[in-house]
Amino acid sequence: MSKKGSADFFYILSDAFRSLRENIGTTILTSFTLAFSLSIFSLFVFVIMNLNGVVEGWGEKTQLVVYMKDSQALQVESSKAAVAKVPGVRSVEFVSKEEALERLTEELKGHEGILDGLDANPLPASFEVSVHEEFNQPERIAEVAGRIKALGWVEDVQYSMEWVEKLSAFVRFAQLSAIVIGVFLGAATLFIMSNTIRLAVYARKDEIEIMKLVGASDMYVKAPFVLEGLIQGFFGGLLALCVLALGRYALLGSVPSYLRFAVELPFGAPVFLAALIGGGMLMGVAGSLISMNRFLKV
Amino acid sequence: MIQMFHVSKSYEGGLPALQDITLKIPKGEFLFITGPSGAGKSTLLKIMFGSEAPTEGQIILDGRNYVRIPSAELPELRRRIGFVFQDFKLLPNKTVFENVALSLKVMGVAPSDVKRRVARMLSYVKLQHRANFKPLQLSGGEQQRVAIARALVKDPAIILADEPTGNLDPALSIQIIELFKEVSSRGTTVVVATHDKMLIEKYARRTVALEGGRLVG
Repeated sequence: MSKKGSADFFYILSDAFRSLRENIGTTILTSFTLAFSLSIFSLFVFVIMNLNGVVEGWGEKTQLVVYMKDSQALQVESSKAAVAKVPGVRSVEFVSKEEALERLTEELKGHEGILDGLDANPLPASFEVSVHEEFNQPERIAEVAGRIKALGWVEDVQYSMEWVEKLSAFVRFAQLSAIVIGVFLGAATLFIMSNTIRLAVYARKDEIEIMKLVGASDMYVKAPFVLEGLIQGFFGGLLALCVLALGRYALLGSVPSYLRFAVELPFGAPVFLAALIGGGMLMGVAGSLISMNRFLKV
Repeated sequence: MIQMFHVSKSYEGGLPALQDITLKIPKGEFLFITGPSGAGKSTLLKIMFGSEAPTEGQIILDGRNYVRIPSAELPELRRRIGFVFQDFKLLPNKTVFENVALSLKVMGVAPSDVKRRVARMLSYVKLQHRANFKPLQLSGGEQQRVAIARALVKDPAIILADEPTGNLDPALSIQIIELFKEVSSRGTTVVVATHDKMLIEKYARRTVALEGGRLVG
């Protein structure tokens, strides 16, 4: 780096840190605005992504549950083979009475007291059956269920196709509304951000003008603001991360397992970290650049 | 060296600010521009400084011909011109030293050189004891001298001063003009816009008069 270049770099850095110190109030305000906007927006993204995950999970799940008469309990293998032979059946999974009780206990976590009065296991053993994709329609699944029911040892066949369909229609609607709301929320976030930064830049428009008048290049004028935006964005992202992590921690203990998806992280923690902090820095820099441009024409 | 050929400037919906100005200012000359308020003195200086573009005509600065100075070349041009603004344009939250240093810092002058040159310039305008004051703690005359020190510290080829004595009493005004005279004697072109008749008569330098945007003498 040339002597002039290194002097430039030194001035830009020291100017940026000094103006961060001098404008500590606006720096904190901008970081907080960024943090809250980012938190609300990411919360929304989480819910949308998690809803997606739930619907996808349903698609692969068991479509039929075949309950066995207790008398059949000893012929698990042959019964399983019989179900597997029914046209349309893709897989069969055996769930013993004990397993069924275990699952119920898990699902009722926090409310286990309900099961206290039981002295014998009332749950039947069952087969969980999934069908090939082309059978995944209400009429065809009914056909498969009918054939299975015709096997003598079957107590009952349950299938919840209609319920799944209604629910997934509802989820699709919820997702669509979430996307619409998310777009508005995103736009509002950008608007608030760019205005907060614009106010901060406006407060220093005289400084920008004077620097330009004594011969500063646009780069020289912009650099401290960009660096400030970067730093504010970093802290905003970090703050948003804390808000979300704390919120999730607070909710995780009290949310029942069937609502767990609402607070689950849709992707790994490092990706989440990078996305929030990177997003914050990007917004900080973009906000600074956009707000500055109109003050540079002196 | 500044040359202007048939320069006119008009603002949308207003009377023309300058009309058909042709002017030649050789290197090292000390020139007064005079005329009543609103005659176009400030506009003329701003065109020479590149902060206003002429509506018509051409301008030659340092041998380069401009119809409109490209914005990428403005910083380089402004580093060679020291402009003393009528309203000083000092940064209120920076010290006198920092205000003067700014015009060297933007040129990328090394910190040790900045320190030396600013200190020398402040003693030149007799403000060394005010180096750590903020502009608002100074009198009008002192602020004026800070503005002049900032313009001079970079050893510019051209000094443009817009009413540099407007806030000063006669004794201080003379001090300031003496300063410009000295700079000009070392080869710097100095253009001073003023309506102070006393100064013009005392110094008997080449004077151009503007009225209603036209050269009248």
